[in-house]
Amino acid sequence: MSELLLKASTGRAEGTRSSRRLRREGQIPAVVYGLGTDPLPVAVVWTDLRHAITTDLGLNALITLDIDGKKQLSLVKDIQRHPVRRDVLHVDFIRVEEGAEVEVEVPLVLTGEAKAVDQASGMVDQIIHNLAVLAKPDSIPDVLHADISALEVGNSLRVSEIEMPPGVRPAGDPEAAFAVGLITRSTKEYLRSERAAEAEAAAEEAGGTAEVGEPEEES
Amino acid sequence: MLMPRKVKHRKQHRGRTRGISKGRTEVTYGDYGIQALEPGWITARQIEAARIAMTRHIKRGGKVWINVFPDKPVTNKPAETRMGSGKGNPEHWVAVVRPGRILFELSYGDETIAHEAIERAIQKLPIKARFVSREESF
Repeated sequence: MSELLLKASTGRAEGTRSSRRLRREGQIPAVVYGLGTDPLPVAVVWTDLRHAITTDLGLNALITLDIDGKKQLSLVKDIQRHPVRRDVLHVDFIRVEEGAEVEVEVPLVLTGEAKAVDQASGMVDQIIHNLAVLAKPDSIPDVLHADISALEVGNSLRVSEIEMPPGVRPAGDPEAAFAVGLITRSTKEYLRSERAAEAEAAAEEAGGTAEVGEPEEES
Repeated sequence: MLMPRKVKHRKQHRGRTRGISKGRTEVTYGDYGIQALEPGWITARQIEAARIAMTRHIKRGGKVWINVFPDKPVTNKPAETRMGSGKGNPEHWVAVVRPGRILFELSYGDETIAHEAIERAIQKLPIKARFVSREESF
């Protein structure tokens, strides 16, 4: 794994106006905390930060912060984005130790095809999209895969059924469901309307033949 | 149509819709969503129309979440009535929406069809809105 080095400068002024000024200059206000130390307000260059968080590991990339010459291993704990513009407003970095386990959220991707659900016109509802796991910083997986081939309508798959890479274990309840096979209300509504349309067409057809048949009876 | 089961006060002031949404600005449950880009009032009828437009397009195998609830009563005075004599009668219910709010979420396998369904639903809304997905780039 290549080392991601990010320069963080201290001594930034706190507050809305100074933070906006920083953003205009191409920097992002950030804070570094964790491992029992006081929170430290810093600023990072947006282009460098963007490069650091767009690797395969995404937001779980292990970043070495260069805080005024001092190196510190860290992870991105939180990113604040503008609700409409979606640009990054603020970043939280958490200090980590190389050998100690950390809790991170890893994207959960469903693989395979739930044939039983498809045949019943159902859908697979993914409840957990990012799974919280405990792992050492150097063994954080990019993505977790979960096979859903055995899923049926009315059943659910549990976190304990996900195959974890070595050194990774779920942080939350292992019995929590991450995917459910279900037939949604909108599908039921659609099937009902389809059946009603079919019945109406059949009734019309029957009515049509009766009308044709009446003159024959008269004659 | 959506409406509160019971309310403490039958009539409300109009209020102001300044600023951007305070929360519910991320796609949480589904894969795709409709994000408001303007402030406004969305009536219960419009919410229902958007929901129907979306569900009719995806036909089967999808799930829709409605993230807004019309809990604000709107009053109207009868036609050809002189001004005064108090506030009008509650006529319909609206949801107050600010920019950034995710109004609906949709879970569906095919992104193209999901996009089409969401575009149809946006046509039923009185404000500018856009298609957003869970996967975001930087």
